[in-house]
Amino acid sequence: MTLEQDAALRTLVLAWYSHRSGADLAAEAVTIRRTEVLRPGRPGLLDLVAEIDGRLAHLVVGLRSVGDEPHFLRSGDELALGLLEDDDGLAFCTDALHDAYLAPLLLATLRGVEPRPGRISIVRDDEDGMVLDCGDRGDLTVFPWLADRTDPAVDLMVALERVGFNHVAAPLMRWQWDQHDLGLVQEPIAGRSSGWAVALTSLRDLYASGGSPEAAGGDFGSEAQALGTMLARMHLAIDRAFGRHPEPVAEWVEMAEAELRESEPSLLAAPDVTELLAQLRVADTKLPAIRTHGDFQLERTSRTDQGWVVSDFRPGGVLPSMFEPVPRSPLADVADLLWSLHQASTAAAAERDPSGRLGLAKLGQAWESRNRRAMLSGYLGTPGIAGLTGPHRDLVGHLVGLFELARSVRPA
Amino acid sequence: MNHTSDQHPWFIESRSSRDNAKADWYVWNDDDQRWPDARVVFTDVERSNWTWDDVRQQYYWHRFYHHQPDLNYDNPEVADTMIDLVRFWLDLGFDGFRLDAVPYLYQRDGTSGEHLPETHAFIRRIRKQLEADYPGRILLAEANGWPSDVADYFGDGDECHLCFHFPLMPRLFMAVRREQRYPITEILAQTPVINDSCQWAIFLRNHDELTLEQVTDEDRDYMIAEYAKDPRMKRHMGIGRRLAPLLDNDRRMTELLYALLLSLPGSPVIYYGDELMMGDNIYLGDRDSVRTPMQWSPDRNGGFSQADFAQLYLPPLMDPVYGFSAVNVEAQLRNQGSFLHWLRRMLTERRALPVMGVGQMEVLPCPNPSVLAYMRSGEVADVLAPVGVPARPSMVAPAEADGRDWERVSSTARTVPAGNEGADDEVVRRFQAVLCVHNLSRFAQPAELSLAQWAGSTPYEVLGRVPFPLITEEPYAITLPPYGFLWFDLVPEDRG
Repeated sequence: MTLEQDAALRTLVLAWYSHRSGADLAAEAVTIRRTEVLRPGRPGLLDLVAEIDGRLAHLVVGLRSVGDEPHFLRSGDELALGLLEDDDGLAFCTDALHDAYLAPLLLATLRGVEPRPGRISIVRDDEDGMVLDCGDRGDLTVFPWLADRTDPAVDLMVALERVGFNHVAAPLMRWQWDQHDLGLVQEPIAGRSSGWAVALTSLRDLYASGGSPEAAGGDFGSEAQALGTMLARMHLAIDRAFGRHPEPVAEWVEMAEAELRESEPSLLAAPDVTELLAQLRVADTKLPAIRTHGDFQLERTSRTDQGWVVSDFRPGGVLPSMFEPVPRSPLADVADLLWSLHQASTAAAAERDPSGRLGLAKLGQAWESRNRRAMLSGYLGTPGIAGLTGPHRDLVGHLVGLFELARSVRPA
Repeated sequence: MNHTSDQHPWFIESRSSRDNAKADWYVWNDDDQRWPDARVVFTDVERSNWTWDDVRQQYYWHRFYHHQPDLNYDNPEVADTMIDLVRFWLDLGFDGFRLDAVPYLYQRDGTSGEHLPETHAFIRRIRKQLEADYPGRILLAEANGWPSDVADYFGDGDECHLCFHFPLMPRLFMAVRREQRYPITEILAQTPVINDSCQWAIFLRNHDELTLEQVTDEDRDYMIAEYAKDPRMKRHMGIGRRLAPLLDNDRRMTELLYALLLSLPGSPVIYYGDELMMGDNIYLGDRDSVRTPMQWSPDRNGGFSQADFAQLYLPPLMDPVYGFSAVNVEAQLRNQGSFLHWLRRMLTERRALPVMGVGQMEVLPCPNPSVLAYMRSGEVADVLAPVGVPARPSMVAPAEADGRDWERVSSTARTVPAGNEGADDEVVRRFQAVLCVHNLSRFAQPAELSLAQWAGSTPYEVLGRVPFPLITEEPYAITLPPYGFLWFDLVPEDRG
């Protein structure tokens, strides 16, 4: 790479960074670490990894002929990055992932298939990754920031798919460089809606009609039960993929207690909590610990025409302030989902009644209660799951309560 | 096809002795143990498929009520007579037949007695008669089953032209109550692709109960809880109510369900009275709750009959909401805002959009679970009107005459599915795409659709011909009123 080319590439990275963060950097803060021409010519694709303040930034540059009119996925998102001279002459550069033509071209290039026109829409665009729904061509995920190792969420997804867990869009191509995950192509998911949106639909109906959640038209019960079943199947698949080891329940109690003490010590003095902890401390038993999802909430799931899928495996079992997946009780994921039900009922109530005058809390509690029962029934009713949770329903109930309490003091 | 009444002269003769001319026209046996694998369909009223006959001193076979004995199709005389009957009605000008209870024509040891090869062979025999002597007439199978099983009744295009799609119907009701599209999209995803010469018959209600045979136990409980709050509304394994009362007489919801019926792939079948939003009478026995006299006018007996009221087999509805004085054809014809007029208009619009009948369907992704959006598309043929013949103005009319034969190129007499034009018609073939967006929720909903594939087209709202903003590569935003729906004819730039 010539000095001129290096400078030009750094300019592209700076423009990309500025678009993403709104902040400007000095050119010296950027070091180009990798360049790979994914597709030569015009339109072309150039993959770049650059080091910025010790982090590895990853962008795919679209190379268009000067004068080409790019089509961006969202107005206001017009990520033109600058100009670049290469063997094919001067190129007008865009962020390929925001370019309606170049993003599917990237997907086709990665998969080694002929590009096809078709729909494309942004599913998610944040610091963890950009996910594009490219219709029947599949889903394309590209990571804008690279960790020093493989992505735990991708590891988890790939492992689960290998052991036959079918509530997931199967990975079709894992895009890697050294030990870094650059991106991923997954099989298409038809007609998805986020679990959060489906839950809110149910809650809006209940809050408008009143009465019992069972009698409401938008009852979420059957969906909650199916979610519970899916979660149990995921845990059984994790067990097959990564194995398990026994841990004393007392250790889990201590860890949760420590978490509460640090974040919300007053909770420890609450009579219900005191009683719960007392009951758990006497449970002189060991139960299986497995790798878990780590943040299993409604937003990580999608309802599709084929049922429920886990659409987002972040953080892949890595808990807050940790760097590696930590085995824990599968019931911690259950607690996360139950906590998410509570979050949904609260959010829907705030939407409808910001002042709290309508007294929707009781309805919300009834909704949570019904769907907790349904979700737990789906989870605990799944054949084989008792081998992971232990056979004692009282202990399971107490542990779920404990993990949910610990979840409640973590940021949403 | 499967049975007659026990009052039918054939059965009366058949039961009279074991050696009369029609002794083998029905299925008789000395005990009631044969064919134990055949399920009892109406488990709430029948304990067995066999009933003892005191006259003949034998059991007779019936898959439904005991007063509906099954015909014995293994007797060639019966099969031939049924073919003769079909011909009799076709000679009178009938357009086709709904083959009632068609899966149950034959019985075989060790089987469930449903969907047997012999049944399919008999249907092929009827079809052959139709093709040879009555082209254009149709056969419609009433086979309550899963689409992949029922599709067998299409054969290789040599059995029925149409099959009822039973599992879709309860899911339409489930979707509007749940306010989410998944009950509908799930069953569509499980519906097999069928031969071009065949079609599903889709419906909202019919003369039987709203059957819940093809749903899970949980969904059945849900449907009963939502739509049959009074236990008297339950019938067999379903709900004995008409469309309007099921929907609490809600006009918006009724229109939404009809919009789905008319735009989903299939031939819509409308039950008499539902075009008026007629009610039901759940206090009448069995399925009679939905079989009350048609309400033609506010006159005696709703204009259905001049007989004394007491002589009617079933009483007409007379309640203040659904009674014939309030709901009748005559009154609705006078009122331009009536449901009857609305539905006629919808049917007219549907006819003008051939892709609704024969086009492909693609469900479009939408993050909002309450929105069901799909594209109906396919090739159509505009049949051009001869010069001077008044015709429906076409969207392809140029803004100004430019020296071309304006009348010939701009007037479309009618639009038909490609391939259905007449040999002498002058046609212009084109691709038609109709975007259908439905809000299954009682609340207004936003929909953001990825329509980049149709970028450059202008969506014209079908009912008002109002142009909406041009489709671009960016997500297309639509706002839908509660239970609202919008159909858009997508007109490409070069036709605009």
